[in-house]
Amino acid sequence: MMQPDDVTGRAQAPGRLRWFDLGLPGTVFVFCAAVIHLSMTFEEVPEIIVGDSMQPRVFPIFLMVVMGLLNIALILQITRNPPKRLELEPKATWFSVVLMVAFYILAEHVDMMLALPAVIFCMCRLWGETRLWVAALTAVITTCAIFFSFDLVLEVRFPRGVLTNIYYG
Amino acid sequence: MVADALISMLSVLSDPYLMGLILITTVGGVVIGALPGLGATTGAALLLPFTLTMDPVPAIAVLTTIYVSATFAGAITAILINTPGTSAAAATCLDGFPLAQRGEAGRALGIAVVASTVGGIFSVIVLSIAAPLLARVAYEFRPPEYFALTVFGLSMLASISEGGAVKNLMGGLFGVWLATIGADASTGVERFMFGNYELYEGLNFIPVLVGLFAISELLVQSTTLKLAMEHIAMKAVQLPSMADYRKIWRTVLRSCGIGTFIGILPAEGATVASMIGYAEAKRWSRTPEEFGKGAVEGIAGAETANNAATGGAMVPTLVLGIPGSGTTAVILVGLMVHGLRPGPYLFTEQLDKVYAIFGTMFVANALFFVLGLFAAKLFARVTLVPRNILWPVVFAFSVLGSYALAQSMLDVYVALIFGVIGYLFRRFGFAVAPVAIGLILGEMVETNLQNSLKMFDGAWWEIGTQPLAALFLVLAVLGIMQPYIVGWFRRRKATVPECD
Repeated sequence: MMQPDDVTGRAQAPGRLRWFDLGLPGTVFVFCAAVIHLSMTFEEVPEIIVGDSMQPRVFPIFLMVVMGLLNIALILQITRNPPKRLELEPKATWFSVVLMVAFYILAEHVDMMLALPAVIFCMCRLWGETRLWVAALTAVITTCAIFFSFDLVLEVRFPRGVLTNIYYG
Repeated sequence: MVADALISMLSVLSDPYLMGLILITTVGGVVIGALPGLGATTGAALLLPFTLTMDPVPAIAVLTTIYVSATFAGAITAILINTPGTSAAAATCLDGFPLAQRGEAGRALGIAVVASTVGGIFSVIVLSIAAPLLARVAYEFRPPEYFALTVFGLSMLASISEGGAVKNLMGGLFGVWLATIGADASTGVERFMFGNYELYEGLNFIPVLVGLFAISELLVQSTTLKLAMEHIAMKAVQLPSMADYRKIWRTVLRSCGIGTFIGILPAEGATVASMIGYAEAKRWSRTPEEFGKGAVEGIAGAETANNAATGGAMVPTLVLGIPGSGTTAVILVGLMVHGLRPGPYLFTEQLDKVYAIFGTMFVANALFFVLGLFAAKLFARVTLVPRNILWPVVFAFSVLGSYALAQSMLDVYVALIFGVIGYLFRRFGFAVAPVAIGLILGEMVETNLQNSLKMFDGAWWEIGTQPLAALFLVLAVLGIMQPYIVGWFRRRKATVPECD
């Protein structure tokens, strides 16, 4: 019988333990190992400064050791109750992430105030808005409203770019 | 002292600017709570940057009003479209929607409005009395007690409703680790900065919270675009009849106590409170078979408890600096951004501001009662806002809100990264609130552990010899074990045959 996913509510098949179910705890172990490795590279503070307290590396390492122990408990849970099979994310999710990356690149290298309406417009279309003028109007009105409220009321200065250079002079 | 406190609370009523702000924010909070996916936590995280130029009291008033009103408004969508506007309203769906399907949506909303208001006002009264008393006790706390208390706070993550105990604790530890990014507070050694000096003082809380709550929710919503929602039309909200009052008054009183108590426990929040409030309403009901089919006690039990938890959750937040829930974690960040230091000293140094916050919560509870009764039908229409317009707008507010605090593109980057991390967390069954709470408690845990070690010449086991610290550590162990203990009792009860 198909069961709903906790997050998305989409139907899923009940699970049976497969090797890639252990991918999550595996990733956690790699993360813990990486943090411990990085912590070992922190400079050692002279005894006179650190006194009876602990070296800066100790606390992160301690956290990762506890995380590792909890991860073992997670593995036991997974082997006892294999997780339901997750469906691959729909197109809208993948492209939303792509739009976020595109926003960052455009905002960093062109102009944040150009990147924002472009991404809002594309996101409206991607999420199913069929009317071009509605998507365009949403993009322009939202950007203008946010820009002027942040600039005039909150006195936030946005990074300079093609468009903001004209406004700031 | 009491007179000063009352004057500070009443000052809220005499300040037209503050009253206007609370009214606007209550309307905004109800709209935010009524929109599925946007809840009190996301709303508070999105509005936090807008409070930056305000004075501390109006700024915190905005955040607490959003908290109170959005928690109530989750019931609107729970009852009308069977989708809780906030996770705290999930239990309201169980009986609210069946009652609405029977053509009694107005009655269901009326009960939700009255129950929420009673729960909210009760918890503000408890907050006003309990917080100063607890603050007096907290004066005596030294680093070992604070360390043990924060460990207790983290341990309570094991029993929050989303995710499982193990996953919540892992999320909390991940949050604590995030707090170690930047220069070590006592030695100045750089940790996990990768040469980026913008991270010297650590991750800014606002972009992390915006990413975890708002952007991750956007990605979750993107997976459900094809799901259709059934809307139920409503004529008007009806106040409960005398027969309804007779049926629910015991449940309301019980849930007031349950909600406030659960709210006071660190990390627990309105969601857990509403679940327990609902379960207890069913357990004590004379007609438990009606639950799930439109029982008014079910709506009253859940709604009273989730609003009672709002005032309760503010107690550890203000008195100890330990967030009582995901939303109070955002409010705590708001307090810190505005230069208010949560903890017992807040009650001596800035008592007037504390009581103004209490007054704000009181007014907000009264206002959403009026708005709920007379404008719920209007607010119900916001559920019709198309998601393909709403969420791109939320994205715009999220990224610019993240940028606004430090005016740094790094913060935008952090918000986007934590949006994806938050989504992955939720996809794999982890809750994001423990990460936020861990991040906020992280520095407190490490600093108090360092100071305790200095106090005891490096003998860490001496922490356990301090009576209060030992009590908190025992409670922490019980907090971690609690889901397993409760599970064991339930299994045992299920296997014991009933005797006639």
